[in-house]
Amino acid sequence: MKIAVVGTPNVGKSCIYNAVAGYKSMSSNFGGTTVRYEQSTVRVNGMVAELVDFPGCYSLVGTDEISLELGEYLLTQSVDVVINVVDASHLDRSLPLTLELLELGHPMVLALNMIDEAHAKGIEVDSEILADFLRVPVIDTIASRNVGIPELFQQVRNIYSKHRASEKRHIVTYSNEVESALQSLTREIVTSCPQCRMSSRFMAVKLLEGETELLQRVPGIHLNGIKQKVDVLRNNLMVNNNRPDTFMISERNVLARHIASSVTTQLETPPHWRERLDNVLLHPQWGYVILGLTLVAVFYFVFGVGAYLETPLLNLFHLLEELLLSKFSAQSITYTILNGALSGISGGIAIVLPYLVPFFLVLGFLEDVGYLPRVAFLMDTFMHKIGLHGTAIMPAIIGYGCTVPALFATRILPDKRDKILASVIATLVPCSARSVVIFGLVAFYLGAPAAIGIYILNIVVIVIAGKAMSALMPSLSPGMIMEMPPYRLPSLDTIVKKSWLRIREFVVIAWPLLIAGSVVLALAQYFHWVHWFNDVLSPLTIVLGLPAVLGTTLIFGVLRKELSLIMLVQAIGTTEVLTVLSAGQILTFTIFVTFYIPCLATLAVLYNELGLRWTLTVTGMTFGIATLLGVLTHLIFGGGIL
Amino acid sequence: MTLLEAKSDERLRIIDIMAGRQLRQSLAHLGIEIGSLIQVSRSAPLSGPLIIKYNESETAIGRGIASKIVVERVR
Repeated sequence: MKIAVVGTPNVGKSCIYNAVAGYKSMSSNFGGTTVRYEQSTVRVNGMVAELVDFPGCYSLVGTDEISLELGEYLLTQSVDVVINVVDASHLDRSLPLTLELLELGHPMVLALNMIDEAHAKGIEVDSEILADFLRVPVIDTIASRNVGIPELFQQVRNIYSKHRASEKRHIVTYSNEVESALQSLTREIVTSCPQCRMSSRFMAVKLLEGETELLQRVPGIHLNGIKQKVDVLRNNLMVNNNRPDTFMISERNVLARHIASSVTTQLETPPHWRERLDNVLLHPQWGYVILGLTLVAVFYFVFGVGAYLETPLLNLFHLLEELLLSKFSAQSITYTILNGALSGISGGIAIVLPYLVPFFLVLGFLEDVGYLPRVAFLMDTFMHKIGLHGTAIMPAIIGYGCTVPALFATRILPDKRDKILASVIATLVPCSARSVVIFGLVAFYLGAPAAIGIYILNIVVIVIAGKAMSALMPSLSPGMIMEMPPYRLPSLDTIVKKSWLRIREFVVIAWPLLIAGSVVLALAQYFHWVHWFNDVLSPLTIVLGLPAVLGTTLIFGVLRKELSLIMLVQAIGTTEVLTVLSAGQILTFTIFVTFYIPCLATLAVLYNELGLRWTLTVTGMTFGIATLLGVLTHLIFGGGIL
Repeated sequence: MTLLEAKSDERLRIIDIMAGRQLRQSLAHLGIEIGSLIQVSRSAPLSGPLIIKYNESETAIGRGIASKIVVERVR
């Protein structure tokens, strides 16, 4: 059985998916987090099912890439049951999508989610009347607290066993002219593609709305005849309409509002604390002060927790190293392998995790509380300076966590040019792995102000790169359209599990690589192979004024950025970095690592999203920027000024 | 007048959206269409975006788009 979870942004789809899928999908309080779809095999109420979680969108086959993908999936894949998640506190905004889904004719269950938030706003929703209106089962849920989830899946199971064949439900009856056009187009589609399994009425609706691109995505349909028919029907309808292009959407919106007002009772006027909070957080001056303070607070929290844990953990591993040395001869190959593995393990536990864990917790909190869209609003003007809109700050902020999801998040941008620009910027933003290098080397050895300096330098470089690129690719896109979600008190449970998911990626993917890398490097040193790598990279290390032994670490850094830090410790053979490297060299190394070639995972996603040309451009550009900045740092700080 | 000329907290009705199909439809999916009653609830400084309020929803809209939305005052 295949179950699709579908809903508008910010209704808690991912929470429902997570509740049964064991936190494989991430949820957050702004749209576009689930890019592409997450799929997992789950066991619910004793049955095994394929569960597919989709990004939130306002329409099926709409004007952006996400809704096109969703529509295509629902039309061409065999989905057995659709779970449509709606926001009980904001029913009129959720229902237009529901009405579109009903046209598809899949068996469907409605999850009336966030009933707790609706209650807090004084809204009562009568789910029985709603079920009568839509002719689908409706289950009350509070996904973040797992309330109603078992009942929801019980209902899914019932509907699946009762009738597999889709039942015809024409909930939306459009005005007469639209209906007659729809019916004649539906007949045309059926004769043109008799073997097609998809709902011909849904196709007809979308084609009349002008989504002719959809035809190319459905195999086996005779393009030309239908396209002409669509054009004729559309033109006839548009001539006499005062809302060209949107008349069908409007009719669905009207019906959605009618249903919403028929099933909801507003008991008392809602409290205005959201507005009061926005008065402060979006204030023309205080908004920016608070934004700045928030960023500084995040920095000091992450650095504070990290540094507090790093020293005792490093000391612990020193003891282990001494223990190892007392058991084995320093010249033996066993010691070399064990010590290499140990420095990989200690690198993960003592250097990476102390900074990664607090960072992901804070990011998860800011996402769930709903602050990020506010940041986008405040920063729109700034983003215009680098040729983008405020919405494009979301990939950039996510980029401080990890570049890979940041690149996926650029899909919320409808315009190809914006997507390219935002992707390049996302790769320049120091991800948590690069932050680990910045924290672990610069902040730890040279102090917090130097580390903040690197972040500021990074922003300056992003602005220059953005300006240069937008001069080469002039903007044509219209601007930001972004729904502001309400503030929500995030549940600790969700944040912890979401952070764990992000950390798990490091633990299961990067850490083994890191330990293996440490062993390989230790062996390479044991057999005196390293100098080959170092010789090849010596032109680079010479211009950067770095010791030749660091050549290898730069190669490992392409695999994962934090590897270069751990490899640095391995290469120089001590965690007392200051005894081997000068302050200027630490700075040069970190700046070079922060900017040079993105990691392998990022390159793979870049290739997937933007193609070979842009992947090579980004690689070349970042390497150029890194070398230039590295040489400058060396010239300024390497000559003994510091 | 366009949405840009509207004052904060004036009650407004959209009478036209001077844009192509995609933009009109993206706005309609959010419930912003010809005939909608809206208010400008706040705007970001230095010609930043506006936040418009309608039916308990709030949506941020860039100035470029706001200049294409034609509104009239409603008493």
